[in-house]
Amino acid sequence: MKKFKTILVLAVVLMILSVTACANQENTPNETADIKTNLVMGYTTEPEGLDPHRTAAASTFTVTNNIYDTLVGVAPDWELIPRLAKDWTLSEDGMEITFDLRDDVSFHNGRKMTAKDVEYSFNRLKDAESPRARDYANIIKIEVLNDNTIKFITETLDVELLKNFAYPWAAVVPEEAQADLKTKPVGTGAFTLKEWVPQQHLTLQRNENYYSDKAKLETVKLVLIPDATSMMASFQLGDLDIVPLTGDQVTMVENKSEYKVISEPMNAVQIMSLNTKNPILANEKVRQAMAMAINKDEVIDASMFGYGDKIGSHLPPTSPDYFDTNDVIEYNPEKAKELLKEAGYENGFDVRLSLPKNYQLHVDAGQVIADQLSKIGINAKIEIIEWGTWLSDVYGAKNFDMTVVGHTGRLDAYAFLSRYKSTSNDYISLTTGEVDELLERALQELDGDKRKEIYKDIQVILAEKLPAIYLQTPRTMLALQKNVDGMQIFPLDYYDFKEVYFTE
Amino acid sequence: MLKYVLNRVKSSLVILLVVSMITFFVLMIIPGNPAQLILGTDATAEAIEDLRIAMGLDRPYYQQYLGWLLDLLKFDLGTSYIYGEAVTSLIIRAIPVTFSIAVFAMLIATITALFFGILSAVKKDSIIDYFSRSIMQLGTAIPSFWIGMVFIVYFGLRLKWFPISGFVPISSSFAGFLKSIALPAIVLAIGETGTLLRIVRSSMLDSLKQDYMDAARIKGLNKWKIYMKYALRGALIAPVTIIGMQFAKLAGGTVVVETIFALPGIGRLVLTAVERRDIVLLQGLVMFITTTVIFITLMVDLLIMTINPRIKSVERGE
Repeated sequence: MKKFKTILVLAVVLMILSVTACANQENTPNETADIKTNLVMGYTTEPEGLDPHRTAAASTFTVTNNIYDTLVGVAPDWELIPRLAKDWTLSEDGMEITFDLRDDVSFHNGRKMTAKDVEYSFNRLKDAESPRARDYANIIKIEVLNDNTIKFITETLDVELLKNFAYPWAAVVPEEAQADLKTKPVGTGAFTLKEWVPQQHLTLQRNENYYSDKAKLETVKLVLIPDATSMMASFQLGDLDIVPLTGDQVTMVENKSEYKVISEPMNAVQIMSLNTKNPILANEKVRQAMAMAINKDEVIDASMFGYGDKIGSHLPPTSPDYFDTNDVIEYNPEKAKELLKEAGYENGFDVRLSLPKNYQLHVDAGQVIADQLSKIGINAKIEIIEWGTWLSDVYGAKNFDMTVVGHTGRLDAYAFLSRYKSTSNDYISLTTGEVDELLERALQELDGDKRKEIYKDIQVILAEKLPAIYLQTPRTMLALQKNVDGMQIFPLDYYDFKEVYFTE
Repeated sequence: MLKYVLNRVKSSLVILLVVSMITFFVLMIIPGNPAQLILGTDATAEAIEDLRIAMGLDRPYYQQYLGWLLDLLKFDLGTSYIYGEAVTSLIIRAIPVTFSIAVFAMLIATITALFFGILSAVKKDSIIDYFSRSIMQLGTAIPSFWIGMVFIVYFGLRLKWFPISGFVPISSSFAGFLKSIALPAIVLAIGETGTLLRIVRSSMLDSLKQDYMDAARIKGLNKWKIYMKYALRGALIAPVTIIGMQFAKLAGGTVVVETIFALPGIGRLVLTAVERRDIVLLQGLVMFITTTVIFITLMVDLLIMTINPRIKSVERGE
């Protein structure tokens, strides 16, 4: 017992001493006087493996966009720019697209990239195991003309075809490395993967053999910090150079000389989808009444602390084809009550509102909406469900009344809107077929202005018919230390660290 | 003694088998198709079905279970879907994190609880006793996520004494290691001290009332010698059992504290596996945690046997 006591006392003394000893140590600055080239960024969701052809997880593309390249790139202003392809030509009928590839590109394993690799990559993207196979099914033939020229032939005319070559999943990979891409990615990008320690960090290293201007940073370390408050504290301490920002945190970093905030509307829409198989929701007047009863500003305040833009239809305001439909149905709870009465639901009704638990943004929005609907007598019963359940029950089996969710990440209006086709079998398809013909025409219309008109018509129809109530486009926000420059927000949900640098 | 240990090991194996069955089938019947979850909202129905088959999820449940059990016997827990890495290596990497915090937290909690518990039992109804009882209440009542946040803001952000997040392995820097686990260990310790203190105090009070205490007093022994040598020894059984249970609980991972301090421990791994529906990873983790708990309980029972000779003789059947 005595011995035990002595050991115990010793242990305590030792522990207290060592903890205070380290506490008193001065924090040694980890950089020299030179300009920093090692960036540290916080992130909250780890990638789902690093194989761009085998996942649908946005968290993967955030990272892989820096490791792999696509044929075409996209600028922050949505313009398509050359990347692995120097140039491209579309055949007169619009059914064939030929890419002229760069001849100075090598994979990270040192092998030169040729048109054969592009062919292999797109076949891999189209095969059964790929979640994006459906998007590329229209490409029926890929012809390698020579080492640097490749031609894609489509089955039907798709005027938005080129955009499909800019998505981060349309990455070019070498066949010899394909089996292990999930953990050992090999691409042609400006960065290589240095290390990925699950649950801790992922480090990218500058590719010294990059074909174009090399990245300015030597390494980019993404550190996993799941809790937003801890993340902000680390940022304020200077341990992190860039952090994603939530609405409630903006005031902590805004207008402070040591930080910068950059923000852009996401390429996404938050909507409340309505199941028209429910006989009550099948009534157009009921849907309109609900839209009138919802105060979208309140929804944006509650879910994004005001950092969102109101929408009236299924396209984000940043889309080149966006048409402002916010005025089609205005917030007017009194008129909403009248409409409900006309529809025969003077005393309201009960309806389920399913909210995906993992997305606080949608849960918050849903709770405000339920409250607003209660004011016109509609009793929305909130069911908070797991994302897995949402996918299988709501999205898959279409067993729902109403749900709040986001749809993201496409460059062309068609990809956003095609789910409303009566044959799309989507959970919010317009089964009445009102937009079928317009969508068909949009895809065949080579004249950009005329196409824009068609998309405008579709947006107006959706704003009136309301297969969903369109809520907002939330903003992407990043906080940067003041010495970080060159970081941009893109229309696609990824980061690009190639142009990022420290000013001091 | 050996016979007793063997018996316990045998019953532990049965428990593990039952737990493995329950885990496996519960995970199988929870709603949501893992293939759909992985492929998201853009995949075709055929792609989802293909992936389901590729993951082996189309086989009958019992076949999947037996296959998994056979691998388990070879210590192969399968490959995590999201990380593409062996589940065993993911767990092995998380063990030092969780165990270090658990050990330090229990060390702090035990020392505090013994110190105040004994004092407050000996000086019952004194100021010290009231103070200890307040600690009990506070420790149990304050939620760990809140105290964690307060610590981060005060000791991390304001005073800059400790890093806010992340884990430094003992191999890379001992000082860094201690600093990285200090705050989370203290937060966990605060949560466990209250319960433990209460047990120490009541066992000690109980022990002080025993007849042999009077005998010792009459014998004229030194007051503190009586407390420490006779009373405490008799009072230790319940606290040791509780310490074992608390340690087993912490060793199974502490989701809240690991999340707040961004520590790559078992708790975070469990949470990730649940959130992203990485069933293989989750099954492996549940088996690991169960084994740990069973092992620690066995160790505690053996320890109690050595502390208390009465139990030893009963178990021996003497």
